[in-house]
Amino acid sequence: MLARRPLGSLDLPMVLAIAALVGLGMLAIASATVDQPGREGLWQRQLMWLVVGAALGTVVFLVDYHFWAEFSLVLHGGVVLLLLVVLFLGTEVGGNRSWLVLGPVRLQPSELAKWTTCLVLASYLTNRVRGSMGLRQMIAMGMLVGAPVVLIALQPDLGSALIFVPIYLAALLLGGLRWRVITSLCVAGLLLAPVAWMQLEDYQRERILTVFDETRDPSGVGYQVRQSKIAIGSGELTGKGLFHGTQSRLNFLPAQHTDFVLAVLAEELGFMGAVAVLGLFYYMIFRAIVAGRSSQDRLGTYICLLVAAWITGQMAINVGMVLGLLPTIGVPLPFISYGGSALVAAACGVALILNVRGRRFVNA
Amino acid sequence: MDYRDRWELKEYLIEQRLESRVTLFHVGALMLVLGYGLAFWNLQVARGEEYAHLAENNRLREVPLLPIRGVLHDRRGEIVASTRPSLRLLLRREGTGDPDGQLRRLETVLPVSYDSLVERLALAAKRPVFEPAVLKEDLALEELAPIEAHREWFPAVEFEQTARRTYPAGDAAAHVLGYVGEVSEGELEDSPPGALLYSGDIVGKSGLERFYDDELRGVRGAKYVTVNNLGRQLGEGRPGTAPHNGSDLRLTLDLSLQRKLVEALGDEMGAGVFMDARTGEILALASTPTFDPNTFAGRITPEAWTQISKDPRRPMHDRAIASYYAPGSTFKVVMAIAGLETGTVNPSTVVNCTGSVNMYGRSFLCWKKGGHGAVALRQALIHSCNVYFYTLGRGMGIEPIHEYGSRFHLGGLTGIDLPGEASGVLPSDEWKRKVHGERWYPGETISVSIGQGLLAVTPIQMATMIAAVATGKLPDPHVAQGRGDAPVDLRISPGTLQIVRSALEEVVTGGTGRNVALEHVRVAGKTGTAQVYKHSAGIDADKLPKDERDHAWFVGYAPAEAPEIAFAVVVEHGGHGGTSAAPIARQVLEVYFADKVPREGGSRELQADAGRIGELPDVGTASAR
Repeated sequence: MLARRPLGSLDLPMVLAIAALVGLGMLAIASATVDQPGREGLWQRQLMWLVVGAALGTVVFLVDYHFWAEFSLVLHGGVVLLLLVVLFLGTEVGGNRSWLVLGPVRLQPSELAKWTTCLVLASYLTNRVRGSMGLRQMIAMGMLVGAPVVLIALQPDLGSALIFVPIYLAALLLGGLRWRVITSLCVAGLLLAPVAWMQLEDYQRERILTVFDETRDPSGVGYQVRQSKIAIGSGELTGKGLFHGTQSRLNFLPAQHTDFVLAVLAEELGFMGAVAVLGLFYYMIFRAIVAGRSSQDRLGTYICLLVAAWITGQMAINVGMVLGLLPTIGVPLPFISYGGSALVAAACGVALILNVRGRRFVNA
Repeated sequence: MDYRDRWELKEYLIEQRLESRVTLFHVGALMLVLGYGLAFWNLQVARGEEYAHLAENNRLREVPLLPIRGVLHDRRGEIVASTRPSLRLLLRREGTGDPDGQLRRLETVLPVSYDSLVERLALAAKRPVFEPAVLKEDLALEELAPIEAHREWFPAVEFEQTARRTYPAGDAAAHVLGYVGEVSEGELEDSPPGALLYSGDIVGKSGLERFYDDELRGVRGAKYVTVNNLGRQLGEGRPGTAPHNGSDLRLTLDLSLQRKLVEALGDEMGAGVFMDARTGEILALASTPTFDPNTFAGRITPEAWTQISKDPRRPMHDRAIASYYAPGSTFKVVMAIAGLETGTVNPSTVVNCTGSVNMYGRSFLCWKKGGHGAVALRQALIHSCNVYFYTLGRGMGIEPIHEYGSRFHLGGLTGIDLPGEASGVLPSDEWKRKVHGERWYPGETISVSIGQGLLAVTPIQMATMIAAVATGKLPDPHVAQGRGDAPVDLRISPGTLQIVRSALEEVVTGGTGRNVALEHVRVAGKTGTAQVYKHSAGIDADKLPKDERDHAWFVGYAPAEAPEIAFAVVVEHGGHGGTSAAPIARQVLEVYFADKVPREGGSRELQADAGRIGELPDVGTASAR
């Protein structure tokens, strides 16, 4: 079960890219919280979570991905159970009942759910999808994804629930859904959009409208987006220097160490910093695709691509929000935003990719 | 194809499709990253400067540095309006353990109730918490002492220095000086683009404070401080500009005369204007009842404001420039000039007064029941014979009356440097067609001839008129030194003026104005009684209720032989001008000449001599050469 020499085939460049992202993240967190009483030490906590993430990631890496896939349904079921427990016994933070408190450790099961979802979908695709995908398979996968999504949406943490959508869509794409079906799904989605619009809460509609007119609500949501854009734009080409961002240090920027942390980096490191972050993300996605392509079997390909879809989707939603191109949705930027569970989950996700990459030769 | 081949083909096709879908995903991710890269380029490079500017605006807040308002001096240099430092009692609202206890303790050392302090604190509730609450404005020094002595009782109490306008003369010059207050929304909107007026500025609301506001106010400076998103100041930003203090203003007003005038007007409703007849410099200008502008210097309580603005006696209204009254017999001065100048009468034209006269089918009364008998112009003016002027008016018609009245600015603005001057009415055919839409009837001229009817003038107009009669030149009345134009020649023959002047002098020595006569100075003047109710003509004033009595006028100048000071006094419902208005004028003149007369003979001559001596050496060298 354990690889004979897995460390020998470790994708070191990928590990370094992730380390660079986490490092930039900790600098940004330190800068964003330096003037905030009670939050000065957050970057150290993030460092501690990084150690936890690295440890768990090593475990995920060392155990053959076939083993994880075999037990994916059990793991997924366990996480769904945890989400149920959270709904009743969880601790409410900022209006969301999404935290499980175990002594000094606070856990967000929704982050774990992303990891198990990737695994369970990959193993379903491998075992159940032959030829092109039918309605039955779509529904079955929809239920696998839907269980955690519904429970997370009930917390209610719509931002986290939204991250499962790109994972599911990637699964449909990779599973060979016919173009005809993809096209008709898109058309149906567009037709249903007004219906969905009517279902939204007023504040959610307001957030969407703010994308098109940021002056709509200068003191509310529009204010956040506007301040984020000012922070990014005022960074100009080379930035104001680390710890010298006025927008973040003077608190004009909202949630500057969590959801809007990229704006801090863009303000203090400028366009160069923003391009570095985007480049590192792209490099990570690229390595995931390489790992997927070189995988010894289809399961490995599915795992790599679904984890890549998860990280890419979450990154796309967060960056789009920070740039004011998407509505304000509370989604952290993987590896960079402050948050222990998210960092550990992402590390375990990357560990799966490294796992597949490390075992690309059947006899290795 | 056997089973195995088909299986392999299928596997191959699935492999192919997966391959292409992975490529599709790759392309999608690449486009996403490139698209976001472009969005960052757009914000940070293409529009970077614009956003850098916005961030700078976020970070820096302009804190105004307020200028000090200009000081007003009277003609002798005495301060009549200035700005003094004032202490404000503040309560810091953050990090304050027990504000309630401190308010309770404040109640024991200050003359303010705990409830009112709580109210002031509640007012600040909507402001950012780092802005302290203002508990009391303009703290007296003796109120400060007990707080300073027990600092430990009041850990959150602070003091702040502010500026407060103060008027040392109190209510004596209220209408001339005016008062200041915070600029209103309307004033901000109406101000011209270059006015440099900002919300929260203290501006003149009336009087000179308002008229010369642009000069007195000065120009704001500013400093820039770094603030956070809540507006809390964190430190210095970039350097700003220093404020430019307002300029001081020297007035023509003589505070001692001004005080005397207000005192002499006393409880009456009325007004008085005293000016230098030669220059138009206003020496005293008062309206009663008056008010204390110091009341408005800080925040006036709503009750106090209601009391003063709803007072039926209208203390805020400046009767000297904004109230108009029928001039009564004082208008006969203008009539006499018009009559002589137009040749309608000559000094020896005689009219027989029988106590009344019938004109245009109506009987017009003279104030003297038995009549004055046969009177010429001089006697008619001295004894204020109505019948003479009825006859003159009928002979002359309204147009010459309008023409000569206009020369004295009656019915028009004198242009005094005070806001809110009223023009009154000097009727004419043209005026009546415009305002009333009908022609002038000759019968209406008769009332106007004795200063009644549609005629309405302000005290400042009458003072200017009588000054012009005294000097032959129409002065430009003004209160700020050096702001008046040179007097304009009236184009009235010296002979005419001479006849009128000698009559006016005799009004005081032996006519209706005896109450103004002074011991050492010859005074000239004319009384007037403006009818309030038609039936009051010929009825003894003392027998009427106060509010139905006539308005009393006295206009004049002194010294008669070399006029220096001209004046107009009006007392609302004062009855006869000779009995109520003239004594007021006399009291002020006494102060003016008490100061002046002894010097007239001595110091002035000496100064003139000194001038001549100074010139002598030059003359000497010139002749030696």
